[in-house]
Amino acid sequence: MRRLRRSGIALALALVALSPLGASAQQPAQPQQPVHPAALPLRQANYAWDKDLLRGSFSYRDVLSDPALIKKLSSGLPMVIAMRAYLYREGEDIPVALAPRVCRVVYDLWDEVFRVHVSEPERERDQAAVLDGVLRICTEARDLPVVRRGLLAAGQPYFLGVVVDVNPVSPEMVEQMRRWMSRPTGSTGIGPGDALFGSFVQLFVRQIATSDKTLTFRTQDVLNVPPP
Amino acid sequence: MAFTFLPALARAQAVRTWGGEPDTPAPTTSASAPPPPPPSPPEPPPVTLGTPVPGSASGPSGPPTTEATPIVRMPGSIGLKYTLEGIEVRGNTTTLARVVLRYVPLHAGDVLDVDDPELELTRFRLLGTGFFRDVQLSLRRGTQRGNVVLVIEVVERNTIIVDDVWLGLSADVDPSGNAQPLTAYGGARVTETNLAGTGVALGGAFAVADQQLALRVRLADPQFLRTNWIAETELLYSAARDFFGNRDVLVDDPTQTFHDFAVAQYKRFGGRVGAGHDLGITSQVFLDYRLEKIDATLPLAASDHRGLDVEPIDFMLVRGSSILSTVSATFVNDTRDGPFLPTRGHHLVASVDGSLTPLGSDYTYAKLVLKGQQWFPLPWGHVLQLEGFVGSVFGNAPLFERFYVGDFSDLLPDRVLDLAFDRRPAPNFLSTDIVEIRYGNYAAKLDAEYRIPLYRGTRSIYGVDVFGSFGVYGLANEVDFVDHARGYTGFATWPVDLTFNAGLRIDTQAGGFVFGVSNLVGLAPVRGVQQGAARP
Repeated sequence: MRRLRRSGIALALALVALSPLGASAQQPAQPQQPVHPAALPLRQANYAWDKDLLRGSFSYRDVLSDPALIKKLSSGLPMVIAMRAYLYREGEDIPVALAPRVCRVVYDLWDEVFRVHVSEPERERDQAAVLDGVLRICTEARDLPVVRRGLLAAGQPYFLGVVVDVNPVSPEMVEQMRRWMSRPTGSTGIGPGDALFGSFVQLFVRQIATSDKTLTFRTQDVLNVPPP
Repeated sequence: MAFTFLPALARAQAVRTWGGEPDTPAPTTSASAPPPPPPSPPEPPPVTLGTPVPGSASGPSGPPTTEATPIVRMPGSIGLKYTLEGIEVRGNTTTLARVVLRYVPLHAGDVLDVDDPELELTRFRLLGTGFFRDVQLSLRRGTQRGNVVLVIEVVERNTIIVDDVWLGLSADVDPSGNAQPLTAYGGARVTETNLAGTGVALGGAFAVADQQLALRVRLADPQFLRTNWIAETELLYSAARDFFGNRDVLVDDPTQTFHDFAVAQYKRFGGRVGAGHDLGITSQVFLDYRLEKIDATLPLAASDHRGLDVEPIDFMLVRGSSILSTVSATFVNDTRDGPFLPTRGHHLVASVDGSLTPLGSDYTYAKLVLKGQQWFPLPWGHVLQLEGFVGSVFGNAPLFERFYVGDFSDLLPDRVLDLAFDRRPAPNFLSTDIVEIRYGNYAAKLDAEYRIPLYRGTRSIYGVDVFGSFGVYGLANEVDFVDHARGYTGFATWPVDLTFNAGLRIDTQAGGFVFGVSNLVGLAPVRGVQQGAARP
C-alpha cells in the first residue's frame, strides 16, 4: 500500500503541475469577441461624429481574398458575411459597444445578379448587384453607427476590435450538427457504443469550423471624443 | 465516378463548379496589409438590375426556354425558390451516386428554397458518413427558367478505419495450471466503412493471447433497403480459456499436473443478426438475435476455497457441446458533443438479453444492464465525468455473459472480444470478500473522472487530455447475499473494491487512445495477500 500511496502522491503532483499548462494550452473553438483586442493587427478607419453618434468606415474586403470564396458566392446558395465591431476603451478588454453588420448574398441563377440583404443597426435593405457591388456592399462598412457619445468618457481613447466571419454557423447549429455526428444516424455507424463510430465521426466533428473564414483586426484610436 | 440524373440536353451543358474548398480548417486571418478604408459618404449606389429582358440570360446554361418564372422573391430576405430539376453528384470515384443521394432529402420536382436549412444539414450529413473529406453544394441552371440542378461535389477519403488496438500484459498460467510470468496479449479491430462505394461497412477484429484466439467479422448497412433501418450481421469464433481459483485448487484433470488454478477451455462459433432504428436525433434502438455453438472442455471436477470453506468450482459452461440462443434489445441515448473527449452531454445505454429454452438455448437466463455517463464542463476549462453502472444476470448464463471483475477494476486487463487474459483476483484495497469473486451475476459501479485539456488541434491530433479517475465497484453472486463466505465479518462481507486510473487520452485521426498507469500499477505487488483475507 505504501507504494500505491506514493504513486498516488506522484500522480496528484503531476496533475497539479500540468494544470496551468492545460489551462493555457487549451484553444477555444471560436472567440466570441477578440480576446486581446489591443494586440490585433492595426487597420485604418475613418470616424465621423453625426451629432452625438459616432460613425465608422473601414474595409474588410480581404476577407474574400480566397478565390474559392469568390466562387462560392456564385454557387446559387446563400453566403453570409457577418461583421462585429466591438468598441473598446484603450487599455481595457471589455467592450463598451457593439456594432454588427450582416450581409447575406445569393446569386440569382436566372437573373444573373446577386441578391443582397444587409442588416445593420439603423438600416436594413435589399439590393441587387453585380460582383463588384457585392464586394462593396458586403465588405465595406460605411458610416456604420458605432456608439452614442453618452456612453463614452470625454478625452479617452477608444478603438474598434473587428471580427468578420464568412458563413458563420450559429452555436445552436454547431451543437445540432455535433450531436448529429456523434451518433450513427444515417451513417455507417455499426452499433451503439462502438469505438468505431466514435473515433470515426470525430474526424468530421473537428472539420466543422464555426465559419468558412474569420478575419480579425483593430482600428486606430478615436482620439477626439468631445464632452457631452 | 460522376453520376448525373439529368436529361441528355442538360448533360450537354457546360459544367460550372462552385465551391470545392480545400480540406483545411477554417482559416482565421489577422489582417496585416489592410486595404484602405472606404471614403465616407456618399456611397455609390450598387448596380441594381431588374428583371432581365426575355432571352437576355446567357452563360453556360444557355438562354431560358420559357418565360414562365416560378422564382419567388420575398422582401426582407433572399427568398429565392426554384424548381429542382435534378441532382448531380461529382467527384465520387468510389462511392456510388445512389449512396450519396440517400442523404439528400430533395427530389426532382421539389421546390427548392435556397434558405432551407436542410441544404446545409445535407452537407453535414454527407460529411458525417465518413466517406468524404469535403462536400460542397451548389446550384446551376436547369433547362427551363426557374429550374435548377443541385450539384453535390464530394472529395472522397480513406474509409478504412482502425477502431481499436489492444496491447497489454497479463498474469497467466501455463498449460499445467502453474502461474507463469507476465504474458502479452493484443488485438485490433479494423473496418472498411464504405465497401466498394456501397456505404456498407465491413469490419474485422482479432485478439490473441497465449493459447487464446478470437475473431470477428461484421457487416453493416446503415440504410438497409434504402430505409432508415440499420442492418447488421456478425460472425464470431473464439478459442478461449479461463482461470478459476487462486491456489490450492483441487482439480481432477489429467492434463493439469499442477493445481494452482483450474483452467476451462472452450470454443465458440456463431453469429448475430440485428437491426437498429433512430428514435429521434439522439436516441436509437437495436434488436439482435444471436446463435452460437459452444464446445467446452472442463476438468472432471475442481474445488477451490471460498473463505474458510472448500466448494466446487462452477465453470459456468455446459460440458461438451451446447447451444446459446439469445434475443436482445438495446436503447441508446447520446447527447455528447464529441465521442472521445466529450465535454458535455450524456450517454445512456440500457439493454436486456434473454436466452430461453424455446429459442433452442442450453442456457436459460436474462441479463439487464443500465449504464449512464454524464459530462460537465467546468468554468475553468476542465471536464468532470460521472459514470454509473448496474447490471444483473438472472439464471444460468455462460461465463462470458456474466460480469467480470477485470471489466470493473482498472487495475486488471479488460476482456477483449470476450477473452479474459488475466488470472488474478481483484486488488482488494478494502480487504473484503471481493477477492473471492471472478465472475458475478450482479454488478454496480460508480466512477468519477477529471480531465484537463492539454492540447486541441484540427489536423492529425484533435486533442490530448490528462485524466485521473477514481471509482468504487461491487461484484456478487446470489450466494454472497444469503450465505457470506465464512471467515469474513462485518464490512468485509460486502464484495466491493476501489479502482483508479490516470494518464492521457489522445484523440487522433486514427482513433482514440488511452495511456493509463493503472495496468502498470496493477502489475506491481500492491494487492497484499493474493488469496484473500480469510484464507487459511
